[in-house]
Amino acid sequence: MDINKTEQIEAARALIIALESDDEQQAKQQLIILTQSQESELFHEVGKLTRELHESMSNFNVDSRLVDLTKNDMPNTRERLNYVITTTEDAAHKTLGFIDQTLPLASDLKQTAEKINQSWHRFRMKEMSADEFRSLSKEIEIYLPEVTRHSEQIHANLSEMMLAQGFQDLTGQVIRQVINLVEEVENNLVQLVKLASKHRDEEPKKDKQVDAIKAEGPQINAADNPNVMNDQDEVDDLLSSLGF
Amino acid sequence: MKILVVDDFSTMRRIIKNLLRDLGFNNTVEADDGLTALPILQAGGIDFLVTDWNMPGMQGIDLLKAVRADENLSTIPVLMVTAETKREQIIVAAQAGVNGYVVKPFTAATLKEKIDKIFERIDAQ
Repeated sequence: MDINKTEQIEAARALIIALESDDEQQAKQQLIILTQSQESELFHEVGKLTRELHESMSNFNVDSRLVDLTKNDMPNTRERLNYVITTTEDAAHKTLGFIDQTLPLASDLKQTAEKINQSWHRFRMKEMSADEFRSLSKEIEIYLPEVTRHSEQIHANLSEMMLAQGFQDLTGQVIRQVINLVEEVENNLVQLVKLASKHRDEEPKKDKQVDAIKAEGPQINAADNPNVMNDQDEVDDLLSSLGF
Repeated sequence: MKILVVDDFSTMRRIIKNLLRDLGFNNTVEADDGLTALPILQAGGIDFLVTDWNMPGMQGIDLLKAVRADENLSTIPVLMVTAETKREQIIVAAQAGVNGYVVKPFTAATLKEKIDKIFERIDAQ
């Protein structure tokens, strides 16, 4: 029920008169008339909001990309970010491990060199007995091949540390994908906000064509996907099956 | 032997260059995607191409196709070093005429093995 302004003023006047003349029943009746006018406005507003919400919801369903983003890409992104954590963690541990292996090799070389250097100095100052010199020669004989072995090992360890830095490329590719996704979600949300404020008929988007060889960066769940090669051996097998 | 290393990540270019140096290849040049690599290749003097697949601008697979389609470059050996490991991708790369396919993350030994194999085949021809 809707009442206009004049009716509202009349009801208010009648309410005051009724109150002043202690007419309880009349006052109650006028109050009901006044509240009804407010309630009716409220219902009208709620109705409008419901309609807008309904329109937004149907548009939400129409924009399948947004649904797809929420259902598939978001959980996938969690996996991708976890992949970044694991990969960087592995690389850090690998590098630290090789540093742990390399430091004793370097200090071992240094200590023996210092010892031999002192003895050599004494020999040059002619402070060394023949027995001591024989023992020094023995030490040098052992030391020199050790320098070669240790240096080779240090070189190999440094190469491994260098290779471990490849994580930056792998995680970089994954993070780029996440940035693209965040941008897409942002654009879709902006669209959604626009739709919520103004109903628009949009042509349904065409399904994206699936490109089998589209670059995807590192495979996060390679083991779960039979179409993905897990390691170099599998790639080699596939290539040799192609007559490579 | 002059080698062109193409990867959009400078860290990976550095790693590959260092490994190549260990294998005795000291003469390397770099490019960060296919678009910057092509003019370097066309300028001449590149004997070997090592390329990533997933790069902005021009991707490695398109660079490989462009190299094979250019009569001055078509015989350059191409080694792909990439994280792309889908069956279709490897088949397409093989069909496009890639000479070797190394999967990231890789080891120094794998890189050496694939490069050695490529040169063995070239020498046998």
